[in-house]
Amino acid sequence: MSTTTYDTAQPSGIGALVAEADAGSPPAGILDEDAKREIRRACLAAVCVPGYQVPFGSREMPVARGWGSGGLQVTLGVIGADDTVKVIDQGDDAGVNATNLRRMIARTTGCGESADTREATVVQTRHRVPEEALTDRHVLVYQVPVPEPLRGVQKSVAECARMHAEGDYSAMWVSLYEDIVRNGMITASTGYPVLVGGRYVMATSPIPRWDVPRLHRAEQLNLFGAGREKRIYAVPPHTEVRPLTFDDVPFEVEHEPGGRCKFCGSDDVYLVNAGTEGAFACSDTEWCARVQAADADTAAHRERAPLALLPDPAARAGRRAAPLVRKTPADDAPAPARRTRTGGPEWALRVDGIGKVHGAGGASAVPGTGPEHGTAISPSTGAVVAAWDVSFDVAPGEALGLIGESGSGKSTVLRCVIGDEPATAGQVHLASVDDGASEVLALPPAVRRRLRIDSMAVVYQDPAAGLDLRVSAGGNIAERLTAAGWRGYHAIRRRAAELLDRVEVPLSRMDDPVHTFSGGMRQRVQIAKALATEPPVLLLDEPTTGLDASVAAGVLDLLRSLLSERDVAAVVVSHDFSVIEALTDRTLVMQTGRVVEQGLTDQLFHDPHHPYTQRLVAAARR
Amino acid sequence: MGYSGARGGLEAILAAEDLVRRKRDHAPAPWASTEQITARFRLAVDRVMGEAGLYDEPTAAAAFRQAEGDTLEASHLLRAQRSTLPRLAVSEAVDPGEMTVLRRIVPAFREPDGPQLLGRTSDYTGRLLERPEGPPEPPTEESARTEVTEVTEVPERTEEQRSPRRFLDLLRKLDLVSEGRTGDDPEPHDITRKPARPPADRSAVLAAMARAESGALVALWYRSVLGPDGDVHEITLGELRHGRLPLRVRHPHTGNPVTVGEFRVTEAEAIEDLDGADEDRTRFDIGYGLCFGHNERKAIAMANLDIANRRFGRSGPLEQLLLLTVDGLDSGGFLEHLKLPHYVTFRSMVERKQAMRAAAEAGEDLPARAAEPTGKDCR
Repeated sequence: MSTTTYDTAQPSGIGALVAEADAGSPPAGILDEDAKREIRRACLAAVCVPGYQVPFGSREMPVARGWGSGGLQVTLGVIGADDTVKVIDQGDDAGVNATNLRRMIARTTGCGESADTREATVVQTRHRVPEEALTDRHVLVYQVPVPEPLRGVQKSVAECARMHAEGDYSAMWVSLYEDIVRNGMITASTGYPVLVGGRYVMATSPIPRWDVPRLHRAEQLNLFGAGREKRIYAVPPHTEVRPLTFDDVPFEVEHEPGGRCKFCGSDDVYLVNAGTEGAFACSDTEWCARVQAADADTAAHRERAPLALLPDPAARAGRRAAPLVRKTPADDAPAPARRTRTGGPEWALRVDGIGKVHGAGGASAVPGTGPEHGTAISPSTGAVVAAWDVSFDVAPGEALGLIGESGSGKSTVLRCVIGDEPATAGQVHLASVDDGASEVLALPPAVRRRLRIDSMAVVYQDPAAGLDLRVSAGGNIAERLTAAGWRGYHAIRRRAAELLDRVEVPLSRMDDPVHTFSGGMRQRVQIAKALATEPPVLLLDEPTTGLDASVAAGVLDLLRSLLSERDVAAVVVSHDFSVIEALTDRTLVMQTGRVVEQGLTDQLFHDPHHPYTQRLVAAARR
Repeated sequence: MGYSGARGGLEAILAAEDLVRRKRDHAPAPWASTEQITARFRLAVDRVMGEAGLYDEPTAAAAFRQAEGDTLEASHLLRAQRSTLPRLAVSEAVDPGEMTVLRRIVPAFREPDGPQLLGRTSDYTGRLLERPEGPPEPPTEESARTEVTEVTEVPERTEEQRSPRRFLDLLRKLDLVSEGRTGDDPEPHDITRKPARPPADRSAVLAAMARAESGALVALWYRSVLGPDGDVHEITLGELRHGRLPLRVRHPHTGNPVTVGEFRVTEAEAIEDLDGADEDRTRFDIGYGLCFGHNERKAIAMANLDIANRRFGRSGPLEQLLLLTVDGLDSGGFLEHLKLPHYVTFRSMVERKQAMRAAAEAGEDLPARAAEPTGKDCR
């Protein structure tokens, strides 16, 4: 076989230096030694953090990106002259791509070649795990086209990185939930997402589902190389690898009832279509040949085969099978964790001196603003003091109102508390976080985002801000529940149905995408989602403002009864005193960013002191 | 001779390789020497060097010949060649101010500091196809001179003309440029060793553009101007240069920078009219483009996309698009991988379709009003 030759430059300048250096060293093959060392380092990092995608300086290989350039780099990085390499594509040693890679590896490293898994030490593969048992002598190198399991639910790579860092995988769970709702089963085919070591969601190469169980507590080291996307990841031996599925929805491998290999007769292998007559054949050609030659331990193989995971329509959580009302104790999921306090603070939420300045100056912009000056604009810096020195606390079972005209700063306060915008000044404490000892605004963004799962929920004026309108009503609630750790499909369905029923959304609409709902019904879904995990603190930002009067009245009634039957601490922001009066016990009146009056809602409504409050009350009575 | 599942893959590959080699190397036409290619296909060679991120004309010319004129394939050959070699040294940072210009135009100003030097360009030549019967007559010294002097006097080539001051310097003197030299990215991001993902330093995005496939970069620029989600104003081109720069490495013994060679680049500076709420609306900002060889379209697109990225890269998709979608080897390779056998994955998909069909036959209806899918799996 002829080796590829390249024209070399005339030695001149740095070319001469290179030529001089080359003269004393052996041919570098297709990857220089520094690159191999770098790849080995990335492999070691990947082994240390199973399932995590380690970036590496992926080099260009003599094969195209997408033709195994990542797998090839990993193989070249880990292989030595004492090794024996086997390369398969679709399970076949003799396919063009497999052949090509194998000769390239053997030619440039001097290692042995074999099609027999038992002789091989390094197996590079595209799309399959061999049927033969792998051992602790084997390194299995996977070629990976798309290493990012979250790409289907999130196109931004920066956002995917955040989701991995925070273990925020609820979008994946929602996609599985929606799949079952839409199709009666999980229709993901190959590259099935798995949870590795209980921490990282990982894409499986794409191997068929048939091979996924072979990663779980495997004997072999699994290395995944994605050359184009410049990522290496690993599943070390004996690592937990669980396909993502609900506890009560069995993971299913591929199966063709009655299907057998037309060559060797096996029915416990991954079969592919062969010929036009509806026949099947082993995708693993080595195994097929060895079964025919009686050189295979078929009994041991049958033991390993994932026959327990063959599709069973009866066990499937199809749409019809999902019981919405019937309750069996067996599939009861753990109730969402409620933090019970003994000897903690009286309040559930405490806000001290919160302030927000838009523009330059920070606190120095404050003098000269406020109701007594009739402006929120700083005379010295021109900054807008949207809110300043707002303090309150809310006890469990209590509802506090924040009222003021549009622009008075009440929604700003809410956004600062929930974390939608950073506060300029002030402190926030939640009884559910370290018994109120930690200052919430000082917590890292990732921790604050987690608080929104079950410590504090918000209902926005615009349902689109709190819901994914493309997802079903049930799926929106599933998002919150799966983020809180719910893993039972039926339990999630039941909880979602219960909530939707409570907010008077017809259960016949539970599986419809929310964008098909009216404004009032969307708001009801948003309320149901906010209550899904029974958060101790609920923030409501103009919850009825966008709705028709009659629809608004219905939502108001609903909120009133929801608040009265729960132990939740609620903050209600509204410009409308009738909303505040209907829902709250105490009220703060805000004008130009400051609190101008506060007291019991009843008293304020019947005997307002501040002229501004009087105006608001008069407007509500009209 | 099998494509995949059948046996005999090796023979098929060898036969295909042989066919390519025979048809290419033994075509009934004179051999194209490396010198032929560098002299007659200058712009193709430059493009290959730029997209490969490897500057060496004879090597690029050889790749171009081996790739039968496919510039992307030629860049692939160059980059794969680079992967076989150790990195012996890292050059000193290049100062583009040292450029000896072969061409320099300043569209934004009538009489800039220094010359408007058209140089070797066919910008103003009528695009009329010439089909000479044979090679042209070699020019005599006489004819070469008269052809030009008929048009105008040839000004003397002075140092001033070959190293003109930058138009940007004049704009800065007029205090018309917002200060973009923040100094927060002093060590250039080496995208060949450290994969760049958003959020990335400006140097990473510039490096990704400098190696980008020219057509991809121009298409992204145009899409960002005309597409439904674009954020790109077309800029005023401040300056466009093609010229030579010295390459220096530190001497391993003395530690002094030594000039070891020269390379040609195209450089563009794009003037952007700042108009954003938080921008200095009384000034302009400058986008920068630089790539190997003579490739004006690419340098101009790069300069325009650089400033667009700094303004809108993170509020929209542009930064991710620039970092991850303009590399020709990445996009081309991924596209071409679709030619590989996929019958294992396809079988798995077929199985799911059949499972759904079986469930429907058993009485499981699909919902009448389904949501759109939320996410598709990776294959």
